[in-house]
Amino acid sequence: MVEENKVNHTVEHLFRSEYGKVVSILTHKYGTAHLEQIEDVAQEAFIKAMQVWAYKSIPDNPTGWLYMVANNSLLDHLRRDQKIAFQETENLNILSEGEKIVDLVLDDTITDSQLQMIFACCHPSLSKEYQIVLSLKLIGGFSNKELADALLKKEEAVAKSFTRAKKKFRDDVKMLKIPVEMGLQSRLFQVLQVIYLMFSEGYAVTSGSQMIKKDICYEALRLALLLRENKYCRHPNLEALIALMCFHASRFDARIDEKGELVTLEHHDRTKYDQNLIRIGIGHLENAGTKDRMPSNYHLEAARSFYHSTANDFASTDWGNVLYLYDVQLKMHYSPILALNRLVAYKKVKGAVKTMEELLVLEQKTDFKDTELYYAVKAEILSQLQQPEAQKEVLKKAISLCGNMVVKKHYEKKLALIK
Amino acid sequence: MSNFLYLFRGGDDAFDKLSQEEKQAHMEVWGEWMGGLQEQGKLIDGLPLDKDGKVVHDRGEVVTNGPYAEGAEMVGGYLIVKAKNMEEAVEISKGCPIFDYEGSFVEVREILTMEP
Repeated sequence: MVEENKVNHTVEHLFRSEYGKVVSILTHKYGTAHLEQIEDVAQEAFIKAMQVWAYKSIPDNPTGWLYMVANNSLLDHLRRDQKIAFQETENLNILSEGEKIVDLVLDDTITDSQLQMIFACCHPSLSKEYQIVLSLKLIGGFSNKELADALLKKEEAVAKSFTRAKKKFRDDVKMLKIPVEMGLQSRLFQVLQVIYLMFSEGYAVTSGSQMIKKDICYEALRLALLLRENKYCRHPNLEALIALMCFHASRFDARIDEKGELVTLEHHDRTKYDQNLIRIGIGHLENAGTKDRMPSNYHLEAARSFYHSTANDFASTDWGNVLYLYDVQLKMHYSPILALNRLVAYKKVKGAVKTMEELLVLEQKTDFKDTELYYAVKAEILSQLQQPEAQKEVLKKAISLCGNMVVKKHYEKKLALIK
Repeated sequence: MSNFLYLFRGGDDAFDKLSQEEKQAHMEVWGEWMGGLQEQGKLIDGLPLDKDGKVVHDRGEVVTNGPYAEGAEMVGGYLIVKAKNMEEAVEISKGCPIFDYEGSFVEVREILTMEP
């Protein structure tokens, strides 16, 4: 039974992993100007594969097969459009020799063109939204419907945003290349941010398809691991980001119960944590040491996530260290939302009375009138202070602000339990 | 023992509507079925056919694009299978995954040989 699942898993992911490779290699070769046609031929190649492979068998080198088919039909399209000169086609045509498949589609070429695609999709001239949608579609091979299901958007909205993103991509990102040396680090940091946001989209608890959401998380992780393949991209922040994603992802299955309802960290069934991912995460965290000993936000979040993923239960979590990590991060990059999150750890260490005092201080600094998290945190404090009436009020406020059905249901359940 | 030609007709609309994952899953089912025939030494040959094609009339005076017959009956692929007789050939065809697609059917025809 386990083996069977594994086979299905491979088949399910064939399209996602191979599609991105084929699109990357072709875009690398022919440029972003032909992107639409490249997407078309890559999809056609898959349809052909599904028909022919059914009759024969899956070839030893599926990527090579798909690439050859897509490349040939792209050349046909281009010739028909007379967009490239005859001579040029002749040169490109050398590729149709069957025996060259293996040479051509070397792992290095694939990795390089995928890396270039990542940098191209995360080009600074594109908005964050576009960067994410391009990466998920072009490298991850997600369909509009899948993204719509996972991100709780309308399919047309995803399609529209992708069309606009592609237009900008074609106009502004003509060359696919990895920026070398100068400028690499700042571009790398942008790529890391996109991967982080992509992961967060997938990790958000919603009623959307859990399977696809998990795939988005794994895709983010895969891209981060791909970056490691390039020695110029290796960076402590990348290691920390990978660790962070591993620790978070290890808890993925524990966050929602069989009924599709939210399970908070406090009530997680910790036997559902993926120990393998935790081990991998620890390895990357150990690799993430910085020379100047200045941790990034990824480092600090990864370390907090480490404590949560490795604690036996909620009570025995090392809250002192978690709180310390929040303090360090807030000192480096203050954010009101992070300050609210810190109070959860603060309450475990210092108790509810002191936490309420801290919250009052925060209120003076920032206007939390429309911040759902503020009411959620306050409700927890009031619950411990045994002020049911006040707690009811803030929970109602949180419910009215909450746009996430799964979380909303969780609040409503809490509200119903208050006596 | 004779060879039989299976012509798979119809079901294209149903196939096109499948998601990528479903197409892949179905490909696996086909692969299993064909692999089984191969192991039993019953599979001679077979491949799918491209949708595009031409119809040549009157020694080439008239050449048209498809459709070749009614859309639902288009041949999507063929197999050549070895069987004792028509009964066995029909029996074998019953396990074909083509029946998962609505509106599809298999035409089974014996391939005649020179052997007396």
